[in-house]
Amino acid sequence: MLQIQHLTKRFGDHVAVDDLSLHIAPGEIYGFIGHNGAGKTTTLRSVAGIQQFDAGEIRIGGVSIKSDPLACKRTMAYIPDNPDLYDYMTGIQFLNFIGDVFAVPADVRQSRIRDYAGRFELTKDLAQPISAYSHGMKQKLAIISAWLHQPRLILMDEPFVGLDPKASHLLKEMMHEVCSDGGAIFFSTHVLEVAEKLCDKVAIIRRGALVRSGTMEEVKGDASLESVFLELEAE
Amino acid sequence: MVKLLIKKQMREIFRSWFVNQKTNQRRSKAGIIGFTLLFVVLMVVVLGGMFTALSFSLAPPLAAAGVGWLHFSIMTLLAILLGVFGSVFNTYSSLYLAKDNDLLLSLPIPPRALILSRLLSVYLMGLMYSACVTVPAVVVWWIVEGATVSNVIGGILLIFLVSVFVLLLSCLLGWVVAKVSLRLKNKSFTVVILSLVFIGLYYFVYFKAQELIQQLIANAVVYGNAVQRSAYPVYLTGRVGEGDWLAMLIVTAVMALLTFLTWRVLSRSFLGIATSTGAAGAKRVYKERAVRAQSMPRALLQKELRRFVSNANYMLNCGLSILFMPVAAVALLWKGREFVDLLRNVIPGQPGILAALLCSAICLMASMNDMAAPAVSLEGKSLWLLQSLPVPAWEALRAKLNLQLVLTAPLALLCGACAAVALRASLLETALLVVVPLLYCVLLAAVALLLGTVRADLHWTNEIAPIKQSMAVFIVLLLGWLFAIIPGGGWLLLGGKMPLAAFLALLVVLFGGLSTLVIAWLKKSGAKRFETLS
Repeated sequence: MLQIQHLTKRFGDHVAVDDLSLHIAPGEIYGFIGHNGAGKTTTLRSVAGIQQFDAGEIRIGGVSIKSDPLACKRTMAYIPDNPDLYDYMTGIQFLNFIGDVFAVPADVRQSRIRDYAGRFELTKDLAQPISAYSHGMKQKLAIISAWLHQPRLILMDEPFVGLDPKASHLLKEMMHEVCSDGGAIFFSTHVLEVAEKLCDKVAIIRRGALVRSGTMEEVKGDASLESVFLELEAE
Repeated sequence: MVKLLIKKQMREIFRSWFVNQKTNQRRSKAGIIGFTLLFVVLMVVVLGGMFTALSFSLAPPLAAAGVGWLHFSIMTLLAILLGVFGSVFNTYSSLYLAKDNDLLLSLPIPPRALILSRLLSVYLMGLMYSACVTVPAVVVWWIVEGATVSNVIGGILLIFLVSVFVLLLSCLLGWVVAKVSLRLKNKSFTVVILSLVFIGLYYFVYFKAQELIQQLIANAVVYGNAVQRSAYPVYLTGRVGEGDWLAMLIVTAVMALLTFLTWRVLSRSFLGIATSTGAAGAKRVYKERAVRAQSMPRALLQKELRRFVSNANYMLNCGLSILFMPVAAVALLWKGREFVDLLRNVIPGQPGILAALLCSAICLMASMNDMAAPAVSLEGKSLWLLQSLPVPAWEALRAKLNLQLVLTAPLALLCGACAAVALRASLLETALLVVVPLLYCVLLAAVALLLGTVRADLHWTNEIAPIKQSMAVFIVLLLGWLFAIIPGGGWLLLGGKMPLAAFLALLVVLFGGLSTLVIAWLKKSGAKRFETLS
């Protein structure tokens, strides 16, 4: 589903991502962990096609993000850590805008909005301008918009920040649904307990370089993910 | 505590003096000196000079007529108007919308100390504007009538009392604005309409001022008696400037009472308004309606349109043609023929000159629409959306280009058609009036977008920066004027040397060719640049 090969991204002299390679297969929930500034967001932004990179290759469903970014973007969705949405739109206007961009048919779109907004208890607020939304509500709206066109790959940067416990639980359920339908999830998080319980595979990144990756068992063995992470950080 | 808050407030007020608001970088020494000089020129030379001249034209005849107080009354009213106009929105935003209200209210700070420190900044703003009128008025009076102990004390007291009154009125109006805005729907449209009314009033008074002053001087005693009878407080205030001790005492006492009352109103209502989320009134609840899917280009254009109408500053600064062009079209139909006949007498010359000049006039009006210039910068922090969605960069740019075209070209066409009717234009002249303004609209929109893309600034903290203070908008404005004078100016130069048809073809090739080049750049290099913006 997603292949990252030797990805390198520099900002001036600083190497943000250093020769990173990952492979995420259909049906996998892949966690991406690392300390602040480790290169998680840079990697996710590069995969999402927002950021150009200096070396390496990113393929989504076998298609290169460099050579055909639009085809890649049609099959995926990206939610940043702090979703700055269009404040001048209402929630429903924003969802319809996303629906139009992805050419989601009107009836399909309507039923999906009804379903997801209902699940997140956001239906009543859809007529409100986004500027009046709280951080959590914006996060929920961003999630609904990401799920609206049923992408095959979903990229999320710290998706649980700002969500209430019920919404967090719901998001986890929805992530499993995507994977059981053959999709894949690649997300970054600082909450190691969440990663440990939710992810099929995990990658740990430090100073832009991959230090360990694989299935949860391969990465942590008998220890907790937290202790492995702290141990790797200390090295 | 108050001292500490005032210190913080002062730092905020004078921040723009030392820090560039757009880049958030500290200004250089030369920058600070330049900024100070510009400010001094604007406030002292331009505003102060204007009111000094006015005062010199009023004071001698009114003093001679024995109604010297009327000079002070008129200048006081002008000072109040200028001071309040300059600081009412500042009061609203600095008292109730200050970003640190929540933080400061969570600290052990008495709300009264907070209000007091905030009011000081409002007072300084009001003083700055009102002093531009009152100081010249008082100084001119001393020059004309000679300085005495009473009129020196009266003059200084008047400057102070007017600044306090400006503060009180600003507070009151700021409080009204705050109360109204909590209940207001379509805030941006309301702000646009109110601003246009203010601008309209300003120009009305500006054009009528000379006539009014002449009338006033000619009938000073009559007007003076009328004011004394029907507006006694205005008379008393004027007397303060003349140095009347009793008037000084009464006006000072009244002002103290008004200050006390305003303080009571403010301190009782401050917390309620400052901590309101702005969600007062009935919350709109979503009701499901049938959705109509639309194409991506239409959805993108609709998005741009939504942004435009949601922002009063955007509409006021980049879309004034939307208002002026229909008004011009109606005026052309209504009084156009008389106007054209008048012009024919004033500008005799080669055929087609009036059509060329009207063509330039239409282009000049269209140049007031430049919404494409700040459109890329306005994406700001939400640019990630367009970059992560499967939207070709050129489509995103084209929507911004189309926004300007949709809001300008039909109106230019309307104006051109009305001008052709008024001019009883020939076929060639009609083509000049219709085709050239349309091509001008395309060229200006493309150039605006090009400059907006090249000079995009996504890291603004206030949307005013890309809308009003960006170099792109400034250059577009200048280029708009330059392109606009080409039809009229060109025909004045070349009219005797080539037929109108050739001149029209020349303009079509020039505007059309330039537009094609700029759009070709936007499609390729502009799109590439948009993709990599961060």
